Amino acid sequence: MNGPESPQSEVAVADERRLGERIRATIQTRAFLVIVIAIIIAGLYAGGLVAGTSGTRLLWLTVWGLALGGIIALGGIGLTLVYGVMNFPNFSHGALVSLGAYVTMSFMALLPQGPTIWPMSFGYEFLVAMLLAMPVVGIVALAIDRVVYRRLRRTGAHLVLFAMASLAMLFFVQSMVYLGWGPDFHNYYPGRPNPALQLPLGIRVRGDQLFILALGLVFMVAIAAMLEWTRMGKAMRATSDNPQLARVRGINTERVIAWTWVLGGALATAGGAMYGLSAQLRPEMGFWLLLPMFAAVIMGGLGNAYGAMAAALIIGVAHQVSASFLNPTYGPAVAFVLMVVTLLIRPQGLFGRGGG
Amino acid sequence: MPLLKADGVTAGYGDMEILRDVSIAVNDGEIVSLIGPNGAGKSTLMKTVFGLLPTKAGTITYHGKPIHGREPHDIVTLGLCYVPQVDNVFTSMTVEENLDMGGYLLHDRDIGSRKERIYEFLPRLRERRHQRVGGMSGGERQMVAMGSALMLEPELLLLDEPSAGLSPKLVDEIFDNIRRINASGVAVLMVEQNARKSLAMSDRGYVLAGGQNRFDGTGEEILADPDMARLYLGG
Amino acid sequence: MTQVVVIKGLMLGVSLALILPILLPPGRPWRVPGGIAAGLVLGFGLALALPAGYLSYVISFLVMAGIFVLLALGLNTQWGYNGHLNFGVAGFFAVGAFTSALFTIEAPTGIAAQYTQVVFGLEMPFLVGVGAAAVVSGVIAFIVAVPVLRLRLDFLAIATIGIAEIIRLIFQNERWLANGPQPLRGIPQPGRCLFQSVPCDWLPEWAHWIVEPLGTRDYLAFYLVIVALFVAGTYLVLERACRSPWGRKLRAVRDEEASAAMNGKRVTQVRVQSFVVGAVIMGIAGALYAHRMVAIDYSHFHALFATFLVWIMLMLGGSGNNRGAILGAVVVWAVWSGSAFLAHALDPVLGSIHAELAGRAQYIRWLLVALLLAAVVLYRPQGLLREELRVSRYLKRWPSGR
Repeated sequence: MNGPESPQSEVAVADERRLGERIRATIQTRAFLVIVIAIIIAGLYAGGLVAGTSGTRLLWLTVWGLALGGIIALGGIGLTLVYGVMNFPNFSHGALVSLGAYVTMSFMALLPQGPTIWPMSFGYEFLVAMLLAMPVVGIVALAIDRVVYRRLRRTGAHLVLFAMASLAMLFFVQSMVYLGWGPDFHNYYPGRPNPALQLPLGIRVRGDQLFILALGLVFMVAIAAMLEWTRMGKAMRATSDNPQLARVRGINTERVIAWTWVLGGALATAGGAMYGLSAQLRPEMGFWLLLPMFAAVIMGGLGNAYGAMAAALIIGVAHQVSASFLNPTYGPAVAFVLMVVTLLIRPQGLFGRGGG
Repeated sequence: MPLLKADGVTAGYGDMEILRDVSIAVNDGEIVSLIGPNGAGKSTLMKTVFGLLPTKAGTITYHGKPIHGREPHDIVTLGLCYVPQVDNVFTSMTVEENLDMGGYLLHDRDIGSRKERIYEFLPRLRERRHQRVGGMSGGERQMVAMGSALMLEPELLLLDEPSAGLSPKLVDEIFDNIRRINASGVAVLMVEQNARKSLAMSDRGYVLAGGQNRFDGTGEEILADPDMARLYLGG
Repeated sequence: MTQVVVIKGLMLGVSLALILPILLPPGRPWRVPGGIAAGLVLGFGLALALPAGYLSYVISFLVMAGIFVLLALGLNTQWGYNGHLNFGVAGFFAVGAFTSALFTIEAPTGIAAQYTQVVFGLEMPFLVGVGAAAVVSGVIAFIVAVPVLRLRLDFLAIATIGIAEIIRLIFQNERWLANGPQPLRGIPQPGRCLFQSVPCDWLPEWAHWIVEPLGTRDYLAFYLVIVALFVAGTYLVLERACRSPWGRKLRAVRDEEASAAMNGKRVTQVRVQSFVVGAVIMGIAGALYAHRMVAIDYSHFHALFATFLVWIMLMLGGSGNNRGAILGAVVVWAVWSGSAFLAHALDPVLGSIHAELAGRAQYIRWLLVALLLAAVVLYRPQGLLREELRVSRYLKRWPSGR
């Protein structure tokens, strides 16, 4: 197709390439990505100030953002572990988040309603229902794996077929939610207010938000400890790093995969319940969270649970701060921008391996 | 009875048959080299022995018991360990964590002492114990890989091209390590491109070509055979 | 046989005559004449045999099927021929629909402007609207493709699902752009004046008697001809392109990216081209959808409807095969439309199980298509029709194997 090029122009092209590669090598460092993300976040704060948002309000938004980040992190941990261990983007994870929120609601209906735990808006029954829902959704995730993904693994199917099957499962689980609970919006405690607390520095935060943040942190620490110290955690990290070598070292990777699904489904449920507490239950709530979760996974580096948690907090803050001057429904777009910036600069993410 | 025996093994990827009717054996305490041109099926044979690829025909026995059709995580419990040619370390983990993974099947109380023995055997690993393997050189990674495989104190070690991509000095070091491992009583089956060097230290060798057995004998016999020298040993 | 039936039969016949030759097995001499004859006969036969209500349903079914055929062909250009995992078909579909609508719509004035806000309404002809839809969709695809296409293919899936969602959010929130959450109404339909009591100005006086008995409810048959022309035209262009050096380049890049690069193919350029071409076709499909619906809003461009169904169509029909894409689109659209009847029939059953379940049977349709895709992925990933490895139009036979 291309005509013969003169040797001179080839040399010129080669030179240009080398310069391009040098520029790319500078750009693709972690430091550069951190700077760019910091600039974007600073820009969001500046945008808020320009739009007339007060400094204290931006401070609350930051705290709210951390709470939202906790929710994204809970979803994102499962997503990144599945990505790492099985190496495909699991689009159905969003539907697991919705399913978890709704199963929690159904368990609550079965439990006696206790007194409200001050300063939160919920009673113990909510926590109990969530803890009951977590294994249920974990088992649903495992069942989907047994029926769909394990067959694909056995045939050594291409990543694309896994992705497509997960798209199918996204709509499958989502339609189950629609079928079981209907398209209407729900609240865990319809009409129950959760007045904001007055904290130092003029921060106004609802008790629920503080609880979400705290619970998110508890789960994150627990997951980190599990990955770092337990046998199964180490096996998960090893399988995510190099599945074939993990098998050679004596790890039953099918069992690791099974536990990854259960854990991912359980954490997605916690995320869904938290999200339902802070907003409303909608069948598509998980689909809406899908983009922020994937952004956290990519920013944190595929398969890197710590990275996903840190990135989720950044994304949550960016999301809430941007709401000071943007329509809040554009939150996923903010996450998307951060994700694309990461992909452009350093596809292996903030905490991924390789490069500087 | 040989330690490991593959008899008439046919295997490959998907529908593609790479090995046809290949037979080898490794006896207790031996070093056996597998040599042959690229694409001869040497690595495929290693993977098949270790259960990473299905055995389509033939039998593989270890201590006389069939192991074909078993899962790798099952085979490793029998006393044979495998160091793949590439991707043979967990790059996101430190040296120590890699050794821990090598001892994944051990009781927690045994891991410490085993690690201590590995560090004594390969002192360079001790200096780097908290370093992430991803940033290490090829020679160091190879040592981490071997060290992890030795954690289970296997009777038989399968090494797939342990010297690939290393400088001549490091090659000598790796071969020296293999000799030391063997001297401690571990049988070694290795695939090597450095055919002359590996045959020189091997008890026996097998020449594979085109997925089939071509020749076998002691190291000296293969080195002395004019055809083998011309065809597979580069002059 | 009334005049209306003859005219409708003719339109239906012409549409089918445009499509059927494509679906018949290639390489047979009777393919084109046979297909045209069968199409005309079938069209007239249906017009004669079916009562008016059923005929309208068939025509309306075929119009939507045709629009989905275009989406499937666009996706096939991206995925089937070049391996792009585009999970954001809905985004390009929406961009095409809203662009064409804004180019052709009349900007509201006076009181109407309070109810319908648009960034502009250019009152351009239909074809200009379609052209604009193609261009804008292509440009957006280009902007998305350049950064993401050089990365792993799963990142493209995530990025495109995100783009589609953001496009939907924009059309949902931005009132000034295309009437925000409210429907954008009054999208003109090409040639609709032929069916009105006072026919178009450009129609010569002597021809008035032909369209005289037609009413606006007969319009869709005419629109079907337009859709069929677009489908046939797109198919012919794609088939030519796929058997050209360009098409070989696409498949080379899809199957063996490294070796294609080493053979001097500009891999990134090729990948961007195919992605943009596919998005252009999706944009055209969006335009046709907008003019079919007359009123559109953001909720039409839900991922289930406009992305997921298209993927099922292509996977079922056979990726890498344009005939398969068309066949898959028609079959899946038939399943989807037919499942509406099933849902209707199931509603009382669900209601008898639990009162709250009544009215939710439509979600069983989702469930069904989700299972259909999962089944295709698990049991027949190559689809109904396999890829035709026809390398060049100069070669009569295509290599066997695979």
